[in-house]
Amino acid sequence: MMTLGIGILVAGATVAAVVASIRIIAGPTDADRVVALDIFLAAAIALAVAASLGTGRTVFLDVAIGLALVGFVATIGWARLVQRSPRSKTPPENES
Amino acid sequence: MSLAGFILLAIGAALLIIAAWGVIKLPDALSRQHAATKAGTLALALVLLGAWLLMPTVEWGWRLAVILGFLLATLPVASHLLARAAVVEAGMEEQIRNAPLVGDDPR
Repeated sequence: MMTLGIGILVAGATVAAVVASIRIIAGPTDADRVVALDIFLAAAIALAVAASLGTGRTVFLDVAIGLALVGFVATIGWARLVQRSPRSKTPPENES
Repeated sequence: MSLAGFILLAIGAALLIIAAWGVIKLPDALSRQHAATKAGTLALALVLLGAWLLMPTVEWGWRLAVILGFLLATLPVASHLLARAAVVEAGMEEQIRNAPLVGDDPR
């Protein structure tokens, strides 16, 4: 039962990561790519929990805590970058 | 207990796939971001709860609670900033500024 649950979790996270990578490659705007990175973060946390359940060790839960921290900062950083980068259709305003 | 944890893990995995499918299927960046954040948060919450039901000890419990609390605290902020960036990148500021707010008189 437990092994089957871990298998389902790993399969779901892997499929989600594969589907999100399609959006990373295809995504017309940069915001779409950052959104797909969010799915990657969720899949990585789910995989860390699955590794922790599979081995019975809590070390991988610490990895998941670190992933949640780093993913938050990374998403905010990408959002700021996307917001400040000049658009292609209008010329960028004067920034002093 | 084990069966409930198993069911929660399975629902969480299915919701994760649904979130990724929404990112593929929905038409623009704002709706994609809505799918990714809401469904992804619920999926992770279900997975963490299911993991706790499978391993109901203290040292698993507080770590899972830290992960869940941190995700619930930070994901709305991150998705809000991401939505603002998506609006600016799509050049929709005027449209958003003229959109009716909650509490406005209907015109």
